[in-house]
Amino acid sequence: MGTYVVRRVLGMIPMMFLITVFVFLIMHAAPGNAFDAIMNPAIKDIEQLKQQLEHNAGLDKPLWWQYVHWLGLFVTGNWGFSFNHHVPVTQLIGPAIRNTLILGILAEVLTIAVGVPFGIVQARNPYGKFDYTSNVVLFCLYSVPFFVFAIFMIYFFAIDLQWFPAQGSTGTGPGAGSIGDHLYHALLPALSLALVNSTVYSRYTRGSMLDVSRKDYVRTARAKGLDEGRVFTKHVFRNGMIPIVTQFGLDFGSLVGGLIITEGIFQYQGMGQLVIDAVNGRDYNVIMATTVLIAFGVLIGNLLADILYAVVDPRIRYD
Amino acid sequence: MAEPLLAIKNLKTYFISKDAEVRAVDGIDIEVQPRQVVCIVGESGCGKSMTSLSIMRLVPKPKGKIVDGEIWFNGRDLLKLSEDEMTDVRGNEISMIFQEPMTALNPVLTIGEQITEVLLRHRKMTKRQALAKAIEMLQFVGVPRASEIVHEYPHQLSGGMRQRVMIAMAMVCEPKLLIADEPTTALDVTIQAQVLELMKKMREDFNTSIILITHDLGVVADMADHVVVMYAGQVVESTDADSLFAEPTHPYTKGLLASIPSLEEEKDVLYSIPGTVPDAAAFPKGCRFADRCPIAQPSCREKMPELREVKPGHLVRCDLV
Amino acid sequence: MSENLLEVRNLKKYFPITAGLLRRTVGHVKAVDDVSFTVRTGETLGIVGESGCGKSTTGRMIMRVLEPTSGEIVFDGQDITKLRGKELRAVRPKFQMVFQDPYASLNPKMGIEEIIAEPLIVNGVNRKQATERVIHLLERVGLRADDRNRYPHEFSGGQRQRIGIARALALNPKLIVADEAVSALDVSIQSQILNLMMDLKKEFNLSYIFISHNLAVVRHISDRVGVMYLGHMVELADKRSLYADPRHPYTEALLSAAPEPKRQGRRERIILQGDVPSPANPPKGCPFHTRCPKVMDICKVERPALKQVAPNHLVACHLYN
Repeated sequence: MGTYVVRRVLGMIPMMFLITVFVFLIMHAAPGNAFDAIMNPAIKDIEQLKQQLEHNAGLDKPLWWQYVHWLGLFVTGNWGFSFNHHVPVTQLIGPAIRNTLILGILAEVLTIAVGVPFGIVQARNPYGKFDYTSNVVLFCLYSVPFFVFAIFMIYFFAIDLQWFPAQGSTGTGPGAGSIGDHLYHALLPALSLALVNSTVYSRYTRGSMLDVSRKDYVRTARAKGLDEGRVFTKHVFRNGMIPIVTQFGLDFGSLVGGLIITEGIFQYQGMGQLVIDAVNGRDYNVIMATTVLIAFGVLIGNLLADILYAVVDPRIRYD
Repeated sequence: MAEPLLAIKNLKTYFISKDAEVRAVDGIDIEVQPRQVVCIVGESGCGKSMTSLSIMRLVPKPKGKIVDGEIWFNGRDLLKLSEDEMTDVRGNEISMIFQEPMTALNPVLTIGEQITEVLLRHRKMTKRQALAKAIEMLQFVGVPRASEIVHEYPHQLSGGMRQRVMIAMAMVCEPKLLIADEPTTALDVTIQAQVLELMKKMREDFNTSIILITHDLGVVADMADHVVVMYAGQVVESTDADSLFAEPTHPYTKGLLASIPSLEEEKDVLYSIPGTVPDAAAFPKGCRFADRCPIAQPSCREKMPELREVKPGHLVRCDLV
Repeated sequence: MSENLLEVRNLKKYFPITAGLLRRTVGHVKAVDDVSFTVRTGETLGIVGESGCGKSTTGRMIMRVLEPTSGEIVFDGQDITKLRGKELRAVRPKFQMVFQDPYASLNPKMGIEEIIAEPLIVNGVNRKQATERVIHLLERVGLRADDRNRYPHEFSGGQRQRIGIARALALNPKLIVADEAVSALDVSIQSQILNLMMDLKKEFNLSYIFISHNLAVVRHISDRVGVMYLGHMVELADKRSLYADPRHPYTEALLSAAPEPKRQGRRERIILQGDVPSPANPPKGCPFHTRCPKVMDICKVERPALKQVAPNHLVACHLYN
């Protein structure tokens, strides 16, 4: 297992390298740069000033030089300044990561806490009334894009009922910035993400549990005289969760996509917001730093899921 | 003869769906005496496996259903027991082993967990006592390194070892009846020989009766006291093992025996039973073997022959013999 | 004796085992370890052995679907071991394979005509001729011309095996490798397929390599039989000689372990202890010495060579030195 993890982590290095090259090229292929966005057209000698600024930032050098220069600084921990916010990139990213992790973990916990038990209840009595009606409801939920939910939720729970804040990641006044405050702000966006994802998980869970309950070893368990409850908890459940864990690992990438959109809708100050702002403002250093971190997060998430997979299934051995 | 341990009377197990009624087991009678090995032999789809699952009341739901009959075991009709009473019987008084030891053991639980589970269910024991008993049982069935194996998982064992584990698990509560459904079909021949020997030893040491379900007449000849030949959901011949091999009487039994290539004698051309088994959703009204039978008469297709005694203790479902 | 259609010389297949950070090769699974034999024109060579003995790997190497680690395969006077691309495609029609699981080896989305005609069309036969050939083949293997418009799932196991045989015959091969071709079939269907294969052999002038774990089936269909154990050919002899007078202790045990369907005059059974050792870590010396009832000191050190002990009877055992 140890060598497997080391090999996987080493394998990430070339992958991360390719990702940075790719993002770097796309970024520079897009028209304009940070100074186009911020300069007042009324300034005299605007072209000269722009050239001066670009020269100071190294933007007049060949692309390969810029990349190598950036990489050299980046790996030594110097992630540069934000053109737009005029603070070090690391200072921007710290709180954003924390907020996104809170939102992402909360969304995943809710997804699994709702989706998996629901699928289990369906699988315990397949093709029954509950199974049929709940399937129809789930299918409807699944068909609605999640950002539509997000908007409805803001309307009902934040504006109408005023139970939750409509936007932001922390409040103001006493208690602002506490864990409770963070969770309170993250709950609504997390719920809007989790609702749709949990329909997917309940489908997986139902299918997987049904599949397992037809296995020979479940018949063996019944032949041993175990009652249905024990047959389920001891024999069906654990085996049925194996494909769910796999799915969890595969979902990491799409979770990031969902987070970016959700953060946008809720004006939630996380990595997603930061990326979108940086892309709009051509804030090169911020774009590079955030994409590298997001890619790293997805790769680590996949690795964790693979390790978890080996934990739940003793047949899986990495060596 | 003494009171039979198990008496199946007119058992019918059907698979009922909207558009078809598949008569997997269609009115069978089988008796098993204490300490007797009864082999149920037949080809795929003849209903032999469904018979064994019916005894355990583990017919796949919701389609499979025992629609008629009685299964008397130790003075009680198993079909009249509540589900709770039945779980007390399973694994305790009647236990079962299956064809594929690979898939019949749970891949994510250790061997020890899977064996102790039976003891904890049916015996008042602590976990530690159950584990000690499990190790003892594994040693008894010839599993080497038993005290280590209990902490290992099924995939770490060979096929033969897994089947020994299955046998240990089935025998750990010393049941009165062991049902073995094709227990050696997935095993290599030298391993099969080991497992068959082990089953004989189980019968000797625990006085267990065995119902052995198989398609292999070689295994039948090796193991059986009494043989029941099934075809298309029915018993077509039932007799003691010696007379079955000395005087096979039903044309199907004869055909089966003639179809098997021999290790010891040269056969130029094998006999082959023409055609295939009739569809269980639409059995003909007369004899179900008539279409493949070399001696069939027009009358065979008109009327279903009864299972009748042609010699003392030798029952055959054929009017022409 | 007629000439050799196939000569296999010192065939080996080692699968590497890798481990560690850099996935270095730390050992080999010696699936087939130095096997030599010949198949004469018009002959059936049976290969028997238990799972993992390398019999299927040998078959697949001869079919050139698996690359040998070393050794030579000479087919019809031509060394085919190293052939690639166009040259390989040119000889491929001459040797075909029939598999154990006819369902898995037939594409479920293709109609029967397409399945059988595919190799013909690939080899430049026009549609009309291909259809005629398909009809001819179907009728020859005991199916109807109309069956060509149906799909694999509409057929029973035995019928699917007939389709598999028709496909193998489409290009007029000289050699057919049948890998457990009747093992999944019921006894009555098995004998139908065996009879068909024996008829086809005469009619189409075929040679067979018949790979099976079933000793009786191999005896029935073969002219000569090779016994494999742990990647080695331990005995290779004329069928009569092998079954009447097995020389290798493994062959003896194998024959005695296979149950015959009869009650009187059964042979004394030799029960081998333990499992087959792992081919990743085979024992030194004779591969069988760990389970051999007649083991001697030399067996643990030196691997016995396959040599002639009687006319047409080769054995790899130190007992015959």
